Formats: sequence, C-alpha cells, structure tokens
Amino acid sequence: MNQAQMTAATSGAGFAGDALPFDDLREPRDPPFVVREGVVYLRGSKSRSSGSQAFPERRVCLDTGACDMEPFLFGPRGTLYSYTTVHVSSSRSVPYTLGYVDFPNGVRVLAHVRESGTGVPAACDQPVELRAEGASWYVVPVAAREEGVK
Amino acid sequence: MNQAYIAGAAMIPMGKHRESSYAGLAVPAVLNALKSAGIDAKTVGAVTCGHAFGGMLTGQRIVKELGIGSVPVVNVDNACSGGATALHLAWKDIIAGRHDVILVIGVDKLTQFGGGPLPLVEEDPEVRLGVVMPAVYAMRARRYLYERGATMDDLAGVSVKARRHGARNPYAQFRSEVTLDQVLQSRPIADPLTLLQCCPTGDGAACVVLVSDAVRRSLSAPSVRIAASVLHSGQVTAGFRDMLRPEISSDCARDAYAAAGFGPEDLDVVELHDAFSIAELIYYEALGLCPPGESANYLRDGKTTYGGEVVVNPSGGLLSKGHPVGASGVAQAVEIYWQLTGRAGARQVDGARRGLSHVTGGGIAGLDHGACTVHVYEAA
Repeated sequence: MNQAQMTAATSGAGFAGDALPFDDLREPRDPPFVVREGVVYLRGSKSRSSGSQAFPERRVCLDTGACDMEPFLFGPRGTLYSYTTVHVSSSRSVPYTLGYVDFPNGVRVLAHVRESGTGVPAACDQPVELRAEGASWYVVPVAAREEGVK
Repeated sequence: MNQAYIAGAAMIPMGKHRESSYAGLAVPAVLNALKSAGIDAKTVGAVTCGHAFGGMLTGQRIVKELGIGSVPVVNVDNACSGGATALHLAWKDIIAGRHDVILVIGVDKLTQFGGGPLPLVEEDPEVRLGVVMPAVYAMRARRYLYERGATMDDLAGVSVKARRHGARNPYAQFRSEVTLDQVLQSRPIADPLTLLQCCPTGDGAACVVLVSDAVRRSLSAPSVRIAASVLHSGQVTAGFRDMLRPEISSDCARDAYAAAGFGPEDLDVVELHDAFSIAELIYYEALGLCPPGESANYLRDGKTTYGGEVVVNPSGGLLSKGHPVGASGVAQAVEIYWQLTGRAGARQVDGARRGLSHVTGGGIAGLDHGACTVHVYEAA
C-alpha cells in the first residue's frame, strides 16, 4: 500500500489506515508464546478501554468493538476444563489430544495436551502448565500440590 | 396475525448417493412434496434452499429442473441450521403476506468429501489447532461424565434408542438396531465418543411446501401450523463457557415456547440435534424437556421413547436417519409433518398433536454454536 495515497481520516474521499483489511492470515513473526527464565507465557490482547482479554492476539475488543487492544502475557498455570483425544482427521496425524484450559485471568484457551513428562494424567479440573518446544506450545497436567511453585 | 402452514412434505431416503448431483438428490423430494400438497409447481411464489456445501446457486440448479424460475430463490448457508433457516425465512415471508406458496428445500452431499469429520473453515484459529466437530462434542461428553456422575452406558443409550427408532423408518440411513456393547466397542473417534455415537456421513434432501391460510383452505391435504419459528446466533466469549448449558439452544427454545403459547410439557414429539450421543442428553435440558441435571435419568427411565412422556427423534434422529447437514432442518420438519398428520407408518406416535424441531450448527471459536433454529408445530 502506498502510504502517500492515504488521507488523515476515512471517508468517501479517501481512506486512512483503519480502512485496510487485517492481515490475520499472515504467518506471525513471533510464536504466540514467550519463554522467560524457563517459564512459558501466552501472548494475549487486552482492551485499553474495557479491559477485556482474549487469546490469540486480536485487533478488536470482543465486548465493545473498540480497536484498542494491547499485548499482554498470561500463564503459565491454568485448569483443564475438558479434553479429548482425537482419532480421526483428514489433515493431521492422529491421535492428538485437545483441551480447553481456563486461566486465572478468565481467558479460555484451546490447547494441545501432552501427558508425557509429569506422570500426571489429564482430568477435568486438573491443573495444567504451559510448555514449549521449538515453535509450538502445549500444556501438561501437573499435580495440584505443586500449585504456587514457580 | 397471519399463519404459515406446511401443506406438503417429502424427502429422499438418506444414504450414500455418490452418483447423484445436488439437483439429483433434491428434485424427487421437491416433486413429492408438491404432489403431497396437491400444488402445481407453477403456483410457487418463492424458493428458499438451505445447504452447507452445495456451492453457488444450489436452489436454482434444483428448481430449474422442474421449470420453476423467475420467482425469488434464496440460498442459505447456516451450517447444520441451513435447512431450518430456509424454513424460517419462508415462514417470515408467509407471515408478512409477501407470498402464498413457498418451496423450502434442504439438501447436502457429504460423500463428496470421502468420509471423516466434516471439513470446517480453516480460517478459524481453533480449527487450525485441530478442532473437529467430534472433538467439540467429546469435550462436552467428558465434562458431562465428570460433573453428572453419568456413565458410558448413559451416552451409549442414546445411540441404542436412536437406532431402535430408526429401524422403523424406511428413510433412515441406518435401519438396524444395536446393543450397548456394540456402541461401546465400536472404534474410538474422539474419546469418550465411539463411532456409533457419531452421526454418519451421508447425502440427503428434503422439502416442505409452506402456504398461507388462504391457500391451505383451498387444499384437501392435511396441514400443520408453524406455531413458532425462531433463529438465534451464538454469542462470543473469550472466557469460560459451561459446555453442558448451551445458551444458544435454551434461549432459542424459550423464545419459541413464548411465541407458540405452549411449552415443552405440551409436546408429543421432538426432533432434536443428536449429531452425537451426548448432544441429545444436553438438549433434553436445554429444550426444557427435563430439569437441569436430570437428562441421564430421563433417558434411562424411557421418558423419551414410545410410551414415555415425549418421543424424541422417532425418525432415528441424526444418529440413525443421517445428517447431510443442510438437509437436516427440513428433514426434521418433514418428520414432524408426517407425525402430526398421522402419516408416519410403523413409527407413528399415537395421537401426536404438537411437535418441536431443533438444529444447531457450526464449530467456530468462542461460540457454543454459530446458529440455532427451533420450530414448534401444531396439527391444523
């Protein structure tokens, strides 16, 4: 887009940056998580005006339509609401396990669940923790007694 | 207020019809619906056509085959609610007095995809992570088992009932009964759901002729009044959602009962969206057929089969009759028409006077479902 063609405000006479389509299918420059001192956090968005939070990152507030979403990090601990191991797919290798994870900030995230490593099986209401491997992220069930441990 | 009536209805037997086009699937249903209503194709004032995977101009490709043209034809995609949304749009036009005869078609051909779970829209972030419809329902099932102390037998019991009902329906894709063990031993699809707890891949078409009161009075065929037609869309959230209390379905049913002036306790027959076993249990509660938390007992006690309180899915439902997604909402209306006019043969619910049909639809992030449609009917 030639920036010189753009006007100060969007109207019938011309358009500003707010008229351009979201490039939401573009491969993101960064993965949707960060690792700090070995702890994995997810990149979410928070509305400056309403405070609403969401994952993955987005441009528009789901509650008010305001275009004032700012990046924020959350994690690594959440609670597994429910989960399933999928045995049929036309596009990826099976089986794989998906679950909905509720984070303390109120955001629900669909995540891949891996049971390896901690020896704790997946269960509804089981605490889980974010992990990362290369460019991918997932959650693992962890023992409830580890709550609060960094 | 004007009223809208189903004056004729028909469908094709559901199954894998690989050698049929969309028109090839739907034209027999259209011709038989017109014939059952005693209405000439030339009197059709408008057409609505629900489908999810038919491509451009599905409705026109069908009705041109019998010389219907020039009139408005509207094609509707609303995932599994496509057919029921087509019925809703037709109902609105009859109520508004815009047309006297509207052809409502639902059609889909899922064998074009070669089996496996329904292809969802890859733009969706959860779909990109691997969500398929069986996974969504499986997570509901897992939570149901956890919260309610229900058993795998409770889930499988839905399939056993569906197949028992479907065995008496010549239009059903599956017409054999199954046992609890067969359901539980069938191969895993998305834990805890097994193959026989999932609706099959198939093709189908259904059609109803919707007419005004003036036209109904001129016909000799029996008719069924649409007492309420309600369409809701899902409400997004980025946070917690109770997967056992789908507000899109319960709100839609609440509005339908209010519009109809009668409630769940007055229903004789229900066709609900049992795309997976768990769905039926959750929707008993959402539609108010039983109190919240009581669905497993309600099924176990035989309340939803012949001789119980309300016969749910006498057609065999989506699990047995089949679920060509855009066709299902209209196929449900066909079944209710047959039940309320005493034409359902071996699966007739004795003395059925009032019925309800319910379909939801779609798997997209942040919503319970994208669309939900509830219709309530009364014998005219």
